[in-house]
Amino acid sequence: MAFHDQNNNHTNGEVSKKPKLSFSAITDTEIQSEFSHHDPTVARLNNGAFGCCPSSVLAAQRQWQLKSLRQPDHFYFNHLQKGILHSRTIIKDLVNAQHVNEISIVDNASTATAIVLQQASWAFQEGKFNKGDSVVMLHYAYGSVKKAIEAYVTRAGGRVIEVPLTFPVTSEDDIIREFRHVLEKTKSEGSSNKVRLAVIDHVTSMPSMVIPVKELVKICREEGVDQVFVDAAHAVGCTPRVDMQEIGADFYTSNLHKWFFCPPSVAFIYTRKSVNSVDLHHPVVSHEYGNGLAIESSWIGNRDYSAQLVVPTVMEFVNRFEGGIEGIKERNHDCVVEMGEMLVEAWGTHLGTPHHMSASMVMVGLPPSLGIMNECDAMNLRTHLREFFGVEVPIYFRDGGEVGCVSGYARISYQVYNKVDDYYKFRDAINQLVSDGLTCAFLSS
Amino acid sequence: MASEKNNHHRSIPDINGTHPTPKKPKLSSSSNFITASEIQSEFSHHDSAVSRINNGSFGSCPSSILSAQQQWQLKYLRQPDHFYFNHLKPAINNSRSIIQNLVNAKDINEISIVDNATTAAAIVLQHTAWCFREGKFNKGDVVVMLHYAYGAVKKSMEAYVTRAGGKVIEVPLPFPVSSNDEIVTEFRKALEKGKVDGKKIRLAVIDHVTSMPCVVIPVKELIQICREEGVEQVFVDAAHSIGCTDVDMQDIGADFYTSNLHKWFFCPPSIAFLYTKKNPKTGGGGDLHHPVVSHEYGNGLAVESAWIGTRDYSAQLVVPEALEFVNRFEGGIEGIKKRNHEAVIEMGEMLVKAWGTHLGSPKHMCASMVMVGLPTCFGVRSDSDALTLRTHLRDVFGVEVPIYYRPPRDGEVDPVTGYARISYQVYNKVEDYYKFRDAVNQLVDNGFACTLLSK
Repeated sequence: MAFHDQNNNHTNGEVSKKPKLSFSAITDTEIQSEFSHHDPTVARLNNGAFGCCPSSVLAAQRQWQLKSLRQPDHFYFNHLQKGILHSRTIIKDLVNAQHVNEISIVDNASTATAIVLQQASWAFQEGKFNKGDSVVMLHYAYGSVKKAIEAYVTRAGGRVIEVPLTFPVTSEDDIIREFRHVLEKTKSEGSSNKVRLAVIDHVTSMPSMVIPVKELVKICREEGVDQVFVDAAHAVGCTPRVDMQEIGADFYTSNLHKWFFCPPSVAFIYTRKSVNSVDLHHPVVSHEYGNGLAIESSWIGNRDYSAQLVVPTVMEFVNRFEGGIEGIKERNHDCVVEMGEMLVEAWGTHLGTPHHMSASMVMVGLPPSLGIMNECDAMNLRTHLREFFGVEVPIYFRDGGEVGCVSGYARISYQVYNKVDDYYKFRDAINQLVSDGLTCAFLSS
Repeated sequence: MASEKNNHHRSIPDINGTHPTPKKPKLSSSSNFITASEIQSEFSHHDSAVSRINNGSFGSCPSSILSAQQQWQLKYLRQPDHFYFNHLKPAINNSRSIIQNLVNAKDINEISIVDNATTAAAIVLQHTAWCFREGKFNKGDVVVMLHYAYGAVKKSMEAYVTRAGGKVIEVPLPFPVSSNDEIVTEFRKALEKGKVDGKKIRLAVIDHVTSMPCVVIPVKELIQICREEGVEQVFVDAAHSIGCTDVDMQDIGADFYTSNLHKWFFCPPSIAFLYTKKNPKTGGGGDLHHPVVSHEYGNGLAVESAWIGTRDYSAQLVVPEALEFVNRFEGGIEGIKKRNHEAVIEMGEMLVKAWGTHLGSPKHMCASMVMVGLPTCFGVRSDSDALTLRTHLRDVFGVEVPIYYRPPRDGEVDPVTGYARISYQVYNKVEDYYKFRDAVNQLVDNGFACTLLSK
């Protein structure tokens, strides 16, 4: 059985724990056992929101917790920093960063966003950026990120420009064109309005699509954007080519609890070493303030850091699968697209994104007869599916369509614990709702 | 008295508007107080080879609460979406309600749950930074803090106040200290200094119990002085307080107050509350934000803090179980505090008698920790020496206790320069302190000095 070398992308000789060549991949029964703590009555099609964690990793986490509780002072002085550094080293290799100092571990992408934007906020305040300079983001940026930009950029006098995106989307060219257009337009408004920061999703949340980040970063460099921050909340374990050298961003964050089997919660923020005089700090200040973001983030007061310490155990887990994390990503993608096509055929609808712009999630059009007219309807339908059919799947309301057209999309995911029955269950639930003549208007009454 | 309220907590309606059956923890009667062997069992996960006399740093959590926490974790992992939509908020509100009663806050909206006091400090000081940046405060206006403020808080002042143009004034404090008056005098002097040149004192950051050296500060008195002297707002950093000192928001009268529940209130790591007094006059408490911004931004600090992205919130959900646990003890948390205080003083006096030294503060300025002078022959001459000695005690003697280096003052002859901060919590036994006593005696006999250990 072929085994893909996890270390394909190394540019240096640093060795992380190289797993033994495994000739017997994890079995189906073993996978089910690893996720036996999931509610078996639920078709769990929303891995994108909260992720998942196998029981062997949870057990390892518990060991770390007990170790700390047993003698916390000893743990703090002798184990914690080493454990975090080990995790950071593995992540560095995983994403092809050049130096472990470029990798800081934080709670989640929301925290990473606050770190980058707080820095931008100070830059406006301290005159490094001028009032009226811009921050560019995508129209489909995550809700929290939009709020963070309001809280840190708008409040500090920065201007926010959204790149309009359309959905359904058919090609990356549309996104690239819109993005370039926004940057050029801003530049043409005069040199007093610089674009200081671009915030670009690697995979948008709702609606979900894979963004051509490499191309967009290149455009940013061509157009003289100061800093590029890629919000890749989903990316690790989900999209192909999470490679810091290839993507070329200044800052890049991804959660590891979504698609990389870590327990809640752990994420990394990559900060390119060559970025001059950019002063990132963790907003929760400890005695480590000033020792660099990675060190600051490794101690933000007394807390449970155990989720950050199991990254080595997670590497062992993914390497039990044929092809390791690359194999998992590939198979997840193939399966979610296959399931998506099965559903749209059953319902007579369409996918919201082409295959190559879907990773391990895809937007599946819902029958127009359901009458999804607003976001509230989408939420009510989601609740109804959970409570009456045992199907967990987020629903997106797409504004601006004509009457009788698809206005709702389900974002289905595929992860190693999923089975085809999960998707049949969803298919049948929707078919039943349609044949019962149920509409969202009925649900909200 | 605030403790009377410990036995009840108002139930919070769930998202459907119905009140769940309130879990009213009973105060134990003498026939079913927790026994000594039950206590040992609850803490059987502690390393039995270690004299654990540093509860002040990392706290402790009984196994019944750890189990309850695990239940919450499993519930979430089983079906996280359902948990997020239907369980998380009511459970956090339940915890907030209990805390509100515990600390005698008037309104549940005044109570936000955060990770730790360090996070609470960042929240308050980030708000201060915005005030300077947005011209609400003038450059050069003052923030006052104690010299013995916690290291992380000092850094936070640098990161947010100094950087935004504020001036930081430290109140020098004496140590050893013999009365509250010494502290009050220095505090008044610092406020005078702050008001020169027509500058305003915008914020005073006052510890309720300093960390190192550990002293109970007369916060109520200091806050009164602040009000008299026109200090705009007061933030009490009471990292240790809940479960250690009396904590009554009406009595203390601060604008902002934070305390960890994982230090002395038996919660797992980590959980703290930040109290923000509703004050229409100064607008205090109105515009605090959690630095990690979520979609809840703008809905008030408590709601913002209840969702800061995907994380494990389970430590914040077991406050009901913590209350049940303390109520298994005679007198509940008040009884625990009283007995801890008496025991730590007794142990402290036993040690200073054995070593021929002294305590760093009088009984009434100690809660459940006390600073115990170490023999001068150890020659503790720096923070580095103190840490080296601490490591030596851990590695060679199995004693875990933080050591404080107290620089000598001019004119002092053969001063005590090293103090151990011993703590007493319900799991401690007198043998823990004998072990420490004997370790130090042995070191003295062996002619130990810190210079021997340092490389």
